[in-house]
Amino acid sequence: MNWIPWLLAGWLFFVGIYGVISSRNYVHLVGCLAVVQSSTYVLLLSVGYRQGAGPPIFFHIPPGRAVDPVVQALVLTDIVVGATISALLLALALQVHKVKGTLDPDQLRPLRR
Amino acid sequence: MTPLVPLPVAVPITVAAFLLASGHFLPRRVPDLLAMATALAMTVISAVMATRSVSGPLTYWFGGWSTIGAQVVGIRFQVDPFGAALAAFAGLLFFATFIFAWGVFEKIGALFHVLMLFFLAAIDGFVLTHDLFNLFVWFEVMSVAAFSLTAYRLEASALEGAMNFTVTNSLASFCVLGGIGLIYLRVGALDFSALSQAVAADGGDPLFLGSFALLATGFLIKGAMVPFQAWLSDTHAVAPSPVSVIFSGIMVPVGLFGVVRLYFSVFAGSGVITTVLNTLGLWIGVASALLGGFMCLTQRHLKRLLAFSTISHVGVMLAAFAILSAPAQAGFLLYLLGHGLTKGALFMLSGLLLATLGGIDEIGLRGLGRQVWPAGIAFAVGGLLLGGAPVGLMDEGTRLIDAAASQAHRDWAALACLLASALTGGAVLRATGRIFLGWGKVAGEEERGPSEQEQEDANRPLWLLLLPAVVLLCLALAEGGTIQRYARLAVVALMSPGQAAHAPVPVPKPPHPILPWISTLLALLIAAFDLFRDRIPHSILVTNDRITTPLRHLLEPMHSGRVGDYVAWIVAGLAMLAIALSVAS
Repeated sequence: MNWIPWLLAGWLFFVGIYGVISSRNYVHLVGCLAVVQSSTYVLLLSVGYRQGAGPPIFFHIPPGRAVDPVVQALVLTDIVVGATISALLLALALQVHKVKGTLDPDQLRPLRR
Repeated sequence: MTPLVPLPVAVPITVAAFLLASGHFLPRRVPDLLAMATALAMTVISAVMATRSVSGPLTYWFGGWSTIGAQVVGIRFQVDPFGAALAAFAGLLFFATFIFAWGVFEKIGALFHVLMLFFLAAIDGFVLTHDLFNLFVWFEVMSVAAFSLTAYRLEASALEGAMNFTVTNSLASFCVLGGIGLIYLRVGALDFSALSQAVAADGGDPLFLGSFALLATGFLIKGAMVPFQAWLSDTHAVAPSPVSVIFSGIMVPVGLFGVVRLYFSVFAGSGVITTVLNTLGLWIGVASALLGGFMCLTQRHLKRLLAFSTISHVGVMLAAFAILSAPAQAGFLLYLLGHGLTKGALFMLSGLLLATLGGIDEIGLRGLGRQVWPAGIAFAVGGLLLGGAPVGLMDEGTRLIDAAASQAHRDWAALACLLASALTGGAVLRATGRIFLGWGKVAGEEERGPSEQEQEDANRPLWLLLLPAVVLLCLALAEGGTIQRYARLAVVALMSPGQAAHAPVPVPKPPHPILPWISTLLALLIAAFDLFRDRIPHSILVTNDRITTPLRHLLEPMHSGRVGDYVAWIVAGLAMLAIALSVAS
């Protein structure tokens, strides 16, 4: 098994998390969250990858060696989730900017006490 | 019976789609009525399934795809009594919430009902499914509905709360997905039964342990356990109160149920995971219970106060689960039901205060509650129930948990949970005394209240606001004998998936009957201490401050409201789980 995709997934996860923790702008933060999510795409795709196998499309072709179609379906679902969350967060960021005039998480604190 | 199985998700989604398409043309009250009817119908269907599934699980393969040879190729719902009971409870809570929210969300037409129905479908799917990825999908639908409902008010604090909620809980779903990837890599299947066989064959496999660490982190974020809990107080405080009812009553406990389901259906064969849950899981539960209880007492924003009490009580549930014995799981179910009913009622009552008195600040509302005194009685009952009064479902659960704890030689955990209940009960009783009786004057504190003026629509008569809360409280007070027996039956099927629940697990030796009284008395004392500070000798106050001030300085920064801090805590928690698992293996 090739270890490069695993390393990449781990790298994307932690670099994205670092971005989320240190971000000073919500739009940037949404981008970082998308980076964290990309790590799950890489992880899932590498789970299903078979060396030298073809795409999992068997129409008119006798079933042969193919990469795992299940994880590809999972990634597709994952992408839909990612799009929903990014859209929602960006819409919230837009509204916050309208109300408060800033997108810096340090200046946006929900109710205390 | 199996044709019923997909209905708890299929019907709400269909109705939601219909409302979304036709909401603009329908008369004003039709969405309210339709949503109520749907929630009620789902309660009935789930309750029927809950009774029928006692004699064996009800299985439904989606699209007719089941197995080829020994390989599972389809996705199934497998209804067991435990899951079906949770689904029925979810339906009931949604029904009560729809009554409570009658006409509140008129401005956005039927959109509130659409989101709520998706929310209900997601919770039902989550508790009924027998497939890991399907579990994730419902988890995600639940989250997205919840995110959008939180931000309803579109004011600064609501938006900020919703953003913290969305970021932390999205990380939760990424963790879950990562966990799914790791376990799929080893097993090549997603059906619980297939996974469970593979885990039983080699429970120490690092891939399984890594997968469990990620999955548990994801569900514990949703379950708001230490150190993943900070998002909850921000979110519950700012969400509209009907939404907070659902959040505290069912969503957060169901997040924790994710761990319970996964453990018993998949990971129970792994000795390492069992050990870690039995030690670290128990500590996390107790820590959450105590932290929630303490923070609860330091709040003056009523909904935030209740939010911390939710952390505390879900912590008790986690501690109960982590004992891992059968009676403890029965206690878990009873406690979950009792807590959901009580906390739901309390959130409705704070919504009532928001609607009638136009505020939610405990100190700002001092004495004003007299105009709505019936709510005060209900509030006091809720506070006593949270404080561990020896009556009703929560008490039934507490007794089973205490008995199971002492059977497992974990009496300290039971005592810590007792203290936590007393703290949260004390906080709610203190708020009751201050708001409804006008006790506990705090000089010069009025102007330091929460910054934002809050008000919810007061377009409903008082009785309509009170009715659902009172009904929920009455259910929480109900004689729990039958439900207790049912819970003891349900755990049999929970703990050995796919089996029928033939005989209820026996009740262990009950704890000393004085314990609940101690807890209640402690709650009353704590409330009295805060309300009558001016009559308490100065030296005692100073000693008290000497203990509580450092604790506050330690815990308050954890709930800073800055999302980066929360994410840092999540990473720390994930690391803690991973280290514990690697040490244990």
